[in-house]
Amino acid sequence: MKSVVTSAIASADAAGRFPGSADLQAVQGGLQRAAARLEAAEKLNAGIDQVAKEAYDAAFKKYPYLNNAGEAGENQGKQDKCLRDIKHYMRLINYCLVVGGTGPLDEWGIAGAREVYRALNLPTAPYVTAMQFTRDRACAPRDMSPQALSEFRSLLDYVINSLS
Amino acid sequence: MLDAFSRAVVTADTKTATIGGGELAALKSFVAEGNKRLDAVNAIASNASCIVSDAVSGMICENTGLIQAGGNCYPTRRMAACLRDGEIILRYVSYALLAGDASVLDDRCLNGLKETYAALGVPTGSSARAVNIMKASSVAHITGTNSPEAAGSRYNKNDAAQGDCSALASEAAGYFDRVVSALS
Repeated sequence: MKSVVTSAIASADAAGRFPGSADLQAVQGGLQRAAARLEAAEKLNAGIDQVAKEAYDAAFKKYPYLNNAGEAGENQGKQDKCLRDIKHYMRLINYCLVVGGTGPLDEWGIAGAREVYRALNLPTAPYVTAMQFTRDRACAPRDMSPQALSEFRSLLDYVINSLS
Repeated sequence: MLDAFSRAVVTADTKTATIGGGELAALKSFVAEGNKRLDAVNAIASNASCIVSDAVSGMICENTGLIQAGGNCYPTRRMAACLRDGEIILRYVSYALLAGDASVLDDRCLNGLKETYAALGVPTGSSARAVNIMKASSVAHITGTNSPEAAGSRYNKNDAAQGDCSALASEAAGYFDRVVSALS
């Protein structure tokens, strides 16, 4: 899975050389940024249930028609699945924060999502609303430090762009 | 290829759990100890040719039949192949140490190595001995315990900052052990 460390190793391996000072510098740079990412991952892990629930509520508040018969949130079972999916995105964002790249979201969240949503006749707009709500709701330093928040927000934006 | 971070992610994903608590604490210490790790990788990379040539020479000294006619390090063409393989193995160990995870070593070096050596008639006992000498030498370079007595004229003083590198040394030793167990 792509990260600063694996990219440095891959390029060294392609050239058949030992990790040189340039590779080690690149890794060092990645590790320096890691503290903020891990903080964001920690805070998100601690509050993931609440974050997902608030995002879910925002989506259904903006699109109340979803609760109508024949829509994507017509019964409790479908609503629970929507909440589960939002939590699923949050978990993948947690992974991306740990890895320091968008690999987990790309491989497990975005690849094929468009086809699945189309096949199941699900609207993506409520997910976008949920992510936007989370992005605007999170604030520093109440939730996490500014640097950690910017890492978190950039991943939320990444999901939003992929769903839009 | 995985590193310590993506390994945590792959493990967590099998349980569909988020990463927090204990795993994050381990990763934070990986980040905090990052400079030591880079120094350790640098210690191996900077002394690579010395580590490899000492290991192969040591292997041959203990079993001189290798460089007699019919031995696996005779003639120089085959000894050169042996030195090259030692360097490749050491290189992948240095990658694994940098990543903090053995997957790059497993996938790109050890997978099929035993079968290849069997097909080429390379004696795995001798290979394992050379790997074990590389292990001892690398650990000495990582912990800064390489001495003029042991190294003679090739002694290379390690001027990295002093600190406790025992955890990294045992991690590196684990990767060498992995090579040995893959060969035997």
